Amino acid sequence: MTVENQIQETIGANDVVLFMKGTKAMPNCGFSSKVVGIMNYLDIDYTTVNILDSDEMRQGLKDYSDWPTFPQLYVKGEFVGGCDIVVEMALSGELDDLFESNDVTYNKDAAGKLREANQ
Amino acid sequence: MRVEDEIKHSLQGAFNPSELSVIDESERHRGHAGYREGGQTHFRVRIRSQAFCGQSRLARQRAVHEALGAQMLANIHALTLDIDT
Repeated sequence: MTVENQIQETIGANDVVLFMKGTKAMPNCGFSSKVVGIMNYLDIDYTTVNILDSDEMRQGLKDYSDWPTFPQLYVKGEFVGGCDIVVEMALSGELDDLFESNDVTYNKDAAGKLREANQ
Repeated sequence: MRVEDEIKHSLQGAFNPSELSVIDESERHRGHAGYREGGQTHFRVRIRSQAFCGQSRLARQRAVHEALGAQMLANIHALTLDIDT
């Protein structure tokens, strides 16, 4: 299977996928850690792929997403963005809209609290 | 040229920004992954330009990535972007 097929299979089979450096339990980079923190806080059911495990996957994703950095968040097969974008969307409420329009369950109270705490 | 000046130069030329700051945050990451002695590895960019008008968040970041070029992006370890009109 080509890397591109692997990526398509992963983002097709899972509603929310975070391609990151490290794991949920032990993120290996501050930016990945920040997005894991947001996903956990919002109670998102998400899958992670550690791109440090495979140089081929790492390069393949950069090409597939046309995006040079990690983490990379996908929702329902669509690329959402990296850390800056996810943080901005969480604080603006756009992330709530994205999850709602894609039938992804998230903790609304937590999303509100996150915004309150970062006003 | 220092890396932050190169970044400034590229973005100035590409977007004619009304506001532009490039901060080298490398020292804050001493001892972490990607840190190099001498810094110039971790940057925070704040840019305001009418050029981003009507563009999505993804499109804005892509435009900045493109202006900086693959070589620059490969050279630095981390880049935080705050982009608006």
